[in-house]
Amino acid sequence: MFTYLLKRLGLAALVVVAVLLLLFSMLHMIPGNPAILALGTRASPEAIAEYSARMHLDKPVLTQFVYFLGNAVQGDLGQDVFSNRAVTSVIGERIGFSLALICTGMGWAVLLGVPLGCLAAVRPGSWLDRVTGVFSVGMIAVPSFLVSIWALLFFSLELHWLPAIGAGEPGDLADQLSHLVLPAFAIGLGWVGYLARMVRASMLEVMGEPYIRSARAYGLQPRRVVLGYALRVAILPTITLIGMGFGGLISSAVFAEIIFSRPGVGKMIFDAVSDRNFPIVQGGVLVATGFYILVVLLSDLLIAWLDPRVRSSL
Amino acid sequence: MTKDILLNIEGLSLDFRTNRGRVKALRDISFPVQKGRILGIVGESGSGKSTVLWSILGLLAGNAEVTAGRVDYGARDLLTLDAQALRAIRGEEISVVFQDPMTSQIPVLPYARQMSDILYRRSMSEADKRKAAIDMLRRVGIPDPDSRIDAYPHQFSGGMRQRAGIAMSMLTGPNLLLADEPTTALDVTMEAQMIGLMRGLRDDFDTTIVVVSHNLGLIAEMCDDVVVMYAGEVVETGEVHEIFHNARHPYTRALLECDPARIAEVSRKLPVIPGDIPDLTRPLPGCIFADRCQKAMPDCAKVAPPMVARGGGMARCHLLEGPLADASWPPPADVVTVGRDLGGLAPVKARSDAPPLLEVHDLNVRFRTMGPLKARLNGVSDPFVDAVLDVSLDVKPGETLALVGESGSGKTTLGRTILNLQGASGGTVRFDGRDIAGMAEGQFKPLRRDMTMMFQDPVGSLSPRKSVRALITEPLVIHGAQGRDLDTEAERLADMVRLPRSFLSRYPHELSGGQARRVGVARALALNPRLIVADEPTAGLDVSVQGEILNLMADLQAEHGLSYLIITHNLPVVRHIADRIAIMYLGRIVEDGPAAKVFARPAHPYTRALVEGVPQPDPDRRRPPTAVIEGEVPSLLRRPKGCDFAARCPLAQDACHAAKPRHTHIAPDHRHACLFPLRTPSDLTETA
Ligand SMILES: Nc1ncnc2c1ncn2[C@@H]1O[C@H](COP(=O)(O)OP(=O)(O)OP(=O)(O)O)[C@@H](O)[C@H]1O
Ligand code: SF4
Ligand code: SF4
Ligand SMILES: [Mg+2]
Repeated sequence: MFTYLLKRLGLAALVVVAVLLLLFSMLHMIPGNPAILALGTRASPEAIAEYSARMHLDKPVLTQFVYFLGNAVQGDLGQDVFSNRAVTSVIGERIGFSLALICTGMGWAVLLGVPLGCLAAVRPGSWLDRVTGVFSVGMIAVPSFLVSIWALLFFSLELHWLPAIGAGEPGDLADQLSHLVLPAFAIGLGWVGYLARMVRASMLEVMGEPYIRSARAYGLQPRRVVLGYALRVAILPTITLIGMGFGGLISSAVFAEIIFSRPGVGKMIFDAVSDRNFPIVQGGVLVATGFYILVVLLSDLLIAWLDPRVRSSL
Repeated sequence: MTKDILLNIEGLSLDFRTNRGRVKALRDISFPVQKGRILGIVGESGSGKSTVLWSILGLLAGNAEVTAGRVDYGARDLLTLDAQALRAIRGEEISVVFQDPMTSQIPVLPYARQMSDILYRRSMSEADKRKAAIDMLRRVGIPDPDSRIDAYPHQFSGGMRQRAGIAMSMLTGPNLLLADEPTTALDVTMEAQMIGLMRGLRDDFDTTIVVVSHNLGLIAEMCDDVVVMYAGEVVETGEVHEIFHNARHPYTRALLECDPARIAEVSRKLPVIPGDIPDLTRPLPGCIFADRCQKAMPDCAKVAPPMVARGGGMARCHLLEGPLADASWPPPADVVTVGRDLGGLAPVKARSDAPPLLEVHDLNVRFRTMGPLKARLNGVSDPFVDAVLDVSLDVKPGETLALVGESGSGKTTLGRTILNLQGASGGTVRFDGRDIAGMAEGQFKPLRRDMTMMFQDPVGSLSPRKSVRALITEPLVIHGAQGRDLDTEAERLADMVRLPRSFLSRYPHELSGGQARRVGVARALALNPRLIVADEPTAGLDVSVQGEILNLMADLQAEHGLSYLIITHNLPVVRHIADRIAIMYLGRIVEDGPAAKVFARPAHPYTRALVEGVPQPDPDRRRPPTAVIEGEVPSLLRRPKGCDFAARCPLAQDACHAAKPRHTHIAPDHRHACLFPLRTPSDLTETA
């Protein structure tokens, strides 16, 4: 178990370094002087020289990368080109909005999708199963940014039920929540269908296993057989899927943040790209990657915790 | 004498709806289950044994439909109970032991939880439930149950898992225990222990048991009453001695005569029941056995046979009553009624002076158990196991050597290493005088024509999308046999294994178990090999199909002078087909010698345990429970320092734990690895 954790953490560190390298070279692959790129063509020579020195642009590329890496390890991701604030504190301000969105989005999808899949599997061929099946396909087929736009047009502009843009007044929880509803709905919708289908398939397979027949032969109540036995096994592949699915969810969240003008990390990266504010882009992508790696690691640990076979093979 | 009837099945008929039509899987099944007795249901695969069992519990597949009949349990007909009433009976009054404890126990819950769940109807505290579960685990022989109850199924060995399965089913103290092939997934010594355990439980708890098996030895050893099923019908019922000594139905007779364990004199050719089980979508109007019966008369296929009672049992056959009755039937027990194909060439006697075709010397195969990093962190200095340890053996041209051992003894690894499918870590393998161990595949490839493997699972090892024609000529294609007409070759091979030529265009899923094995044999023969390594060639086959395959292999050997290395755990079969036997235990050969000698006078206590571990298909030769060897094959990870068998050996002494016994010859052709070998037959009786 301990070796496993060590291995996984080592692997995660490797991925992070690779991403850093990629981000770093991205800056250097763009033709032209990075300082001019960052400050714009009309920047004064002094400002450019100052920027170059500050960013170690006058040193050899390899040395620059070592600096970059060293800083990143110490939690220094550089400064916002415009405001000169530390990238970390800029991200710190915004990451809450993104986390809230992503977690709510996945959260409601899990809370709805898993039970739907279960119910559909318990009564295959029933009306619920069929309705779920049709809706699942529909929900998966529509890209989340379209759902975002429609939801925005319909629920806030047409019906005025929910606010359209922003993240709500700071400190006003109810307001913030009401701003969360539409984007979370938009990015989670596809996942409801996806999870329902996944859980249904996995449940159907498990329900045919001999140990389920055993549980029934011992006379356990149907509810216990489905929830305590079948789902307990069927949920395992779903957890892996959810973990990996966070990758896709992060990119949906970027669109949703742009469309709903939510001041999250996604919107930040988008704005930074158009402003050529590279330190912010780097920091934002790094944080997103780190988050993804963390989620996948957590999902693997969760599986190890839930599945004794995996646990003892570690 | 009237006995209490616990369960009575009356006129049960059942169909499965399939896209081939309605499979009439059970037709007019009737038999009583007497209280406090053990009833065995025996019959070939597909005879409907399991279906009967599951219909008692109402746990049939969704496409099953009961068309007639009743299953009376006390005053109630189980077939008419609603779901809730059935659930109240399941697990509490009627419980089940399953065939394969690996797949029938949920892997993600510990036994403690699985067992307390079964007790959910009891108003007991969790602590009391746990205590009851621990007591039952102790009763079935799980060592250290107080802590082992928190284990998960995968942490138990196969034998322990089946014990735990029995504990789960006995936890509620059911009146009736149903067991579907409870020992099929287990080794010989485990099977013997399980039979003893279930008989003991019956005596202690006064439980009635219905056990389904195709293993006649188990039925004879364990049961009081027997029901013989064939193709969805009950053909004969009766008390166990009546069935085994005085069977009246031709099918029962045939089944008994085909069991190699019942054939006293050693014979290469085994009796078989010709033909296959009939198509159950359109069963015959008359006797269901008519197209395979040696005694069949023209009317048998048209007129349903009468049900003729005797004692508490009955048999359904025209020979017993009515216009077609035959007073000379049944003939005395020593008369063989089934076809015994003694044709073919006389078996070649392997020339003992010939140089061996295959010579294995001090072969070792080691496997790594964990990565180097993990081993270092866990302080394991030797992260390897010896799957094969210092094995020496040889096979002469035209000879059959049987490699016998329980699961985990390294038989298959040894076979694969000989065929260079697995690297050796020491020792030599010589084929025809050439050292072949660790040869590069390119260099070895020409030798693959001379030595081939027949795989254990025939259907699984055949590609499902290839026709039989493509499958049996595949080795020719791989080895670039240009200039040969593949169609002619395919027909030649099909003829050799006696597969009708029309089968060449079929696909694997359209073959029966026996036919799939024939395809496996044909593939092995395609390149005219000199040595065939056959891994469990008949595992999972019914006795009569097993006979067909073994007869075929014997004929081919006689015709072509083939050598066989047969890997198996089936000792009754080995006695008939092997010239020599090598017994493996934990990767080592503990005894080898001529088959007849090893059977008659085993020198190693483990050999004796195996020979005696096979239940005899004769209720008069039941073993006392004390004759059964205790314990299980230890894990390779915990190989003892001294004799590998020491922990289970009834003769073990201190010296046995000190060092591995060396191989000693008791005759030029008979070796063993035991410090205190059994010398004379009287030793056997003394310690038994
Ligand atoms: N769900 C099903 N759908 C269709 N046919 C089935 C189904 N289950 C069993 N059968 C058929 O019913 C017959 C009896 O099957 P059953 O499993 O009871 O035999 P068995 O005697 O237990 O055989 P085995 O020794 O192989 O376990 C067979 O012909 C089988 O193919
Ligand atoms: S009724 Fe006829 S075919 Fe059937 S078992 Fe008796 S003799 Fe054989
Ligand atoms: S060496 Fe000792 S422990 Fe091993 S089999 Fe012989 S008597 Fe038994
Ligand atoms: Mg069966």
